[in-house]
Amino acid sequence: MKTFLGKPMASERSIDWNLLPGYRWHENGQSTFSGAPLKLYQKLDRLFLQWAGERGAAEHRFPTFIPARELDRLDYFRSFPHLVTFPVTLDPSKDNLAAFVRGAPLDDAGHLQLAASAPIADVLTPAACYHFYIQFQDERLAQPRYVTTRATCFRREDHYAPLQRQWSFSMREIVCLGTADEVKAFLAGGRATVEGFFKKIGLPIEWQNATDPFFEPARSSKYLMQKLDPVKIEMVFNGDLAIGSVNFHRNYFGEAFRITRAGADAYSGCIAFGVERWIFAFLTHFGTDEAGWPVLT
Amino acid sequence: MKTETEVRRALREWVIRTNGKIAADALTDRTPIIEQRIVTSLQITDLLLFLEELTGRAIDVEKLKPGIFRDIDAIYENFFGKADGV
Repeated sequence: MKTFLGKPMASERSIDWNLLPGYRWHENGQSTFSGAPLKLYQKLDRLFLQWAGERGAAEHRFPTFIPARELDRLDYFRSFPHLVTFPVTLDPSKDNLAAFVRGAPLDDAGHLQLAASAPIADVLTPAACYHFYIQFQDERLAQPRYVTTRATCFRREDHYAPLQRQWSFSMREIVCLGTADEVKAFLAGGRATVEGFFKKIGLPIEWQNATDPFFEPARSSKYLMQKLDPVKIEMVFNGDLAIGSVNFHRNYFGEAFRITRAGADAYSGCIAFGVERWIFAFLTHFGTDEAGWPVLT
Repeated sequence: MKTETEVRRALREWVIRTNGKIAADALTDRTPIIEQRIVTSLQITDLLLFLEELTGRAIDVEKLKPGIFRDIDAIYENFFGKADGV
């Protein structure tokens, strides 16, 4: 997603997030919702789920961790080392646990003094749709498959900003696996639905070609490929905040996870919605009073 | 100086050789080589080097436009034809 420059345009409201009822920002890049902001969160996700339902997408709920071995098939660690977050546990040996307890578990800066840590073989979900390709690996699809999930995703960043750039955030995705034509038709239909919705409610969104946030992009052949053959189109609010995207993966995941359709590697594509960023767009554009929010159907 | 026919043949041969799986008769000058991942991201840098060799001039990656490697027709038009895209 795009870098957020943090400056609302003159037409948008500037909000003191510390004073917004029902919302709490955590400096470690996370948000807590209750009251009206939570209601908005739920209504938005219901809307995304309704769009998923219109495409016959079956809902899934996945766990938080993904085996590192699975993500390695996508060359994830070389592509996004700056974003990845690992679940860490202590080395379970009695001596190590005793050393941890006897020492100061936390230093003055609030950093844990782990002693030795256990081997790490998992990753906290970085993108919701990865779960599907792992789930469906080795399958031969007799027809296109439409699925959806909402996951808490984790991406380490060098700075955070309320609702716009978070370490952990909610991502709803609607995914299609099929032939190239089936996936393209799904993405075109999904984009038309979302475009129509923005028009109906008057939310200023521009669609812009984008690339994934690769590590050292100038040296990344994947980045170069995405520049030469754009496969990601973002829904950009206010000129600088991507609140969602439409992504054509070609047959990248089908090949990596041996999913086939019509005798060849399956193609895939997804429509992704960053729930917190949608909330940011709604609150800054329509105001914090829920009476001013558009009807979400 | 290679003729258009020779350049196109050289490009097709490079794609077939690099991909290693595609049959010669399955590749036309309109086959979408990027979309079908006949040429993958791992091979795109090699394709640039091959094109530098064929054209005899350096390619500035920053100036490359989207769609330039869509198929052999697009590569020919952009690097050897009138619509020089580099």
